[in-house]
Amino acid sequence: MEKIDCIFLRQPVSDRLPLFKGMAYYLIKKFITLLILLFLVSITVYSVLFLLPGDPAQIILGINATPETLENLRSELGLNKSFWHQYADWMINLISGRGNRSINYDMPVYELIVSRLSVTGPLALMAILFAVAISIPLGVYAARHQNKKGDLGVMFFTQLGLATPEFWLGILLILLFSVHWGIFSAGGFPGWSVDFWGSVKSLLLPSFALGVIRASILTRLTRSSMLDVLCEDYVRTARAKGLKERTVIYVHALRNALIPVLTILGLQLGQLMAGAIIIENVYYLPGLGRLVFQAIGQRDLPVVREVVLFMAVAVVVVNFIVDLIYASIDPRMRLQKM
Amino acid sequence: MKRRLFFMLVTCLIFSANTVFANTPVKGGSLIVCQPAEPPGLDPTGNTAAAIDRVVFSNIFEGLIKVNSKGEFIPGLATRWEVSPCGKIYTFYLRKGVKFHNGESFNAHVAKWNIERAKDSKTTNPHPEYFRGVVKIDMPDDYTLRLTLNEVDALFIAHMSEGDAIMLPMKGYEDTKSNPIGTGPFKFVKWARGDRVEMVRFDGYWNPELPYLDKVTFKFIGDPSAQIAALKAGDIDVIGYIAAPESAMEMSRDKRFKVFSGTTTGEVIMSTNNKAKPFDNKLVRQAMAYAIDRQAVVDLVMFGYGTPIGSHWSPSTPYYVDLTGKFSYNPKKAEELLKEAGYPNGFEATIKLPAIYSYSRRAGEVIADMLSKVGIKLKIEIVEWGQWIERIFKKKEYQLTMIGHVEAWDIGIYANPEYYFQYDSQRFRDAYATALKAPNEDEKARWFGQCQEIIADDAVNGYMFSAPSLPVMKTSVMGWWENYPTIALDCTQVWWKK
Repeated sequence: MEKIDCIFLRQPVSDRLPLFKGMAYYLIKKFITLLILLFLVSITVYSVLFLLPGDPAQIILGINATPETLENLRSELGLNKSFWHQYADWMINLISGRGNRSINYDMPVYELIVSRLSVTGPLALMAILFAVAISIPLGVYAARHQNKKGDLGVMFFTQLGLATPEFWLGILLILLFSVHWGIFSAGGFPGWSVDFWGSVKSLLLPSFALGVIRASILTRLTRSSMLDVLCEDYVRTARAKGLKERTVIYVHALRNALIPVLTILGLQLGQLMAGAIIIENVYYLPGLGRLVFQAIGQRDLPVVREVVLFMAVAVVVVNFIVDLIYASIDPRMRLQKM
Repeated sequence: MKRRLFFMLVTCLIFSANTVFANTPVKGGSLIVCQPAEPPGLDPTGNTAAAIDRVVFSNIFEGLIKVNSKGEFIPGLATRWEVSPCGKIYTFYLRKGVKFHNGESFNAHVAKWNIERAKDSKTTNPHPEYFRGVVKIDMPDDYTLRLTLNEVDALFIAHMSEGDAIMLPMKGYEDTKSNPIGTGPFKFVKWARGDRVEMVRFDGYWNPELPYLDKVTFKFIGDPSAQIAALKAGDIDVIGYIAAPESAMEMSRDKRFKVFSGTTTGEVIMSTNNKAKPFDNKLVRQAMAYAIDRQAVVDLVMFGYGTPIGSHWSPSTPYYVDLTGKFSYNPKKAEELLKEAGYPNGFEATIKLPAIYSYSRRAGEVIADMLSKVGIKLKIEIVEWGQWIERIFKKKEYQLTMIGHVEAWDIGIYANPEYYFQYDSQRFRDAYATALKAPNEDEKARWFGQCQEIIADDAVNGYMFSAPSLPVMKTSVMGWWENYPTIALDCTQVWWKK
């Protein structure tokens, strides 16, 4: 069997060339899809926000403002122009790199997104790290001890995790670590340049809260996927040929079992990048989720538009990276026509 | 006996000396204040959001007149002012030697420019009407400003003490939204968007004794339980202005913290569409006023914090008249009035509650229950804030809603029949016009009292309670305001007890 495996991998050079061609073709296709998607997203976001009730000028000036002041602000914000005129203005600013300015923060939106991303990005990555570090060993353990006490225990805790809202876990962690023991601050973010380790520390609790909840799904998925794989012929063969159990589990079985897990992981990462709105509010982190939440409430439309656009890009890019990882985990995928 | 007396005397002396010592402000230290909402920009002259004034007004910016914690008008950038006997000419004597944080000097030219900017036709000041009455600005010398109004305006001084009337420097004013420069006791350092605004002591402040603190940081934490956790964990020192009433209760039992319960300029009212059936009938509105137990509303919604009101006027504002007795809780009377109005079996209506304000949602639920007891069935609809502005406030597509009106001296909104209450009363308009032209204190008290009484009689809206201020802080924070007669979290005289 191992021999067949080797033959399978060892292809003639001439066959490999189309692979690279295929890869380039794939990348271009993905890129064009991204552009079309962005255009559609931009039109959709723009029209939805355009139709959204709630005059930004009135929200900014409050309910006692005079009609004259409202009119002045509307013309200053360009709200009196037609739909297409406003859309074109927005697009030109976006593409030319001049950028649009946030109404409330009085700074370019892309700068805002970059600064918020320096919180949300690491937060999402740390949450995913927690999730992976918890779920994969636990899932493998549960699969290997199927229906025994250990497995039941793991299943019980994942059920609990699935039922727990993350903001509640977040508050619980604050009560325990900040209020009771006082070893973490209850929230806030000092900033990377001000205090690097302090910043890492301030992301630990929220990313743990996010990670644990996501780990519940991943553990169950790893377990069931692992159970499927462990019944496969090649696992039996690997065992029969006298490989160590460790090698069988971690080299042969896990690698294949990870593919569905990876799909969900990619979705989760995309979701986290798009903003862990509630956790960011509980820990008052200046992240992307809180930015867009606040911007919608205050009708800071330039911010809402661009953040939504950015989130769309983030999801597409994350999925693209997941596709690439598939290929590196599962050699068969490289051979499929992409 | 003598020895005992002597001992007692000494003890008394020591104790009194101790208290005197303990109540003398100490300089130094930094304070972290939690303010729930992040301000949309830092320019009070371009946006009415209360969050802006709470951070910058009186701390970074000052106007000619300030308001102290008792609601009195005290000298700000003007050391004193005079009103001519005809009531139309105001003379302000400006403080000498005042510098802006960027080094520019403050004088009558700067003051004139600020007033002209506010009343300009291109202004985005939310209240240009405050300044429109000024028809002539004279400067007898560099430190005297004489304003001539086209008619008597009883609220002119009150308006000049609000955040809309701050003094900006003529050169550094363009970036006020993101880089505010004023004459206040604190100098702006930075605004970490989404997190905090930092300001430090301004050494060139016109009062060399003030401020006591070296640094003040406003941190923006919206979630009420996160605010309490941050205070308990020591990340912040004060929850300025208002904590959630349910946690204020809990915190008042904790020895490490103190809770103030004071008054604000805000009135929480059940706004009523006076043109929508059946609320166009005065008897129906009066019946509702009888059917609401205001003290119970305060107890259930605000956990007992807050003062019931009978009209659109806060007890902390001068000329307040207590009208809560006018429609004291009486469900029998309410049923009779409903019968008289032609609704012996009551009716159904919808109350639309803005989602962002928890007090409004809670009050709406409590009132729906109270009104159901006299046969009025309320359907509750929760609306997003932007929707509220558009549908309820602008298009008046509503019957009832619940909202806090935070501005002081805003009873004039009842004189505008186009305002979302759609209240149209010539009697009120006349009374308000007379009040605005009142030449002296007695006349002001009489006519502003009349105004309060007319709308209370007509039961224009359901008057619920004056919003309480519930600041919570560490016990060693001294000088924090208990009452808020103006919209500001003034840190000028705040200090740390060592």
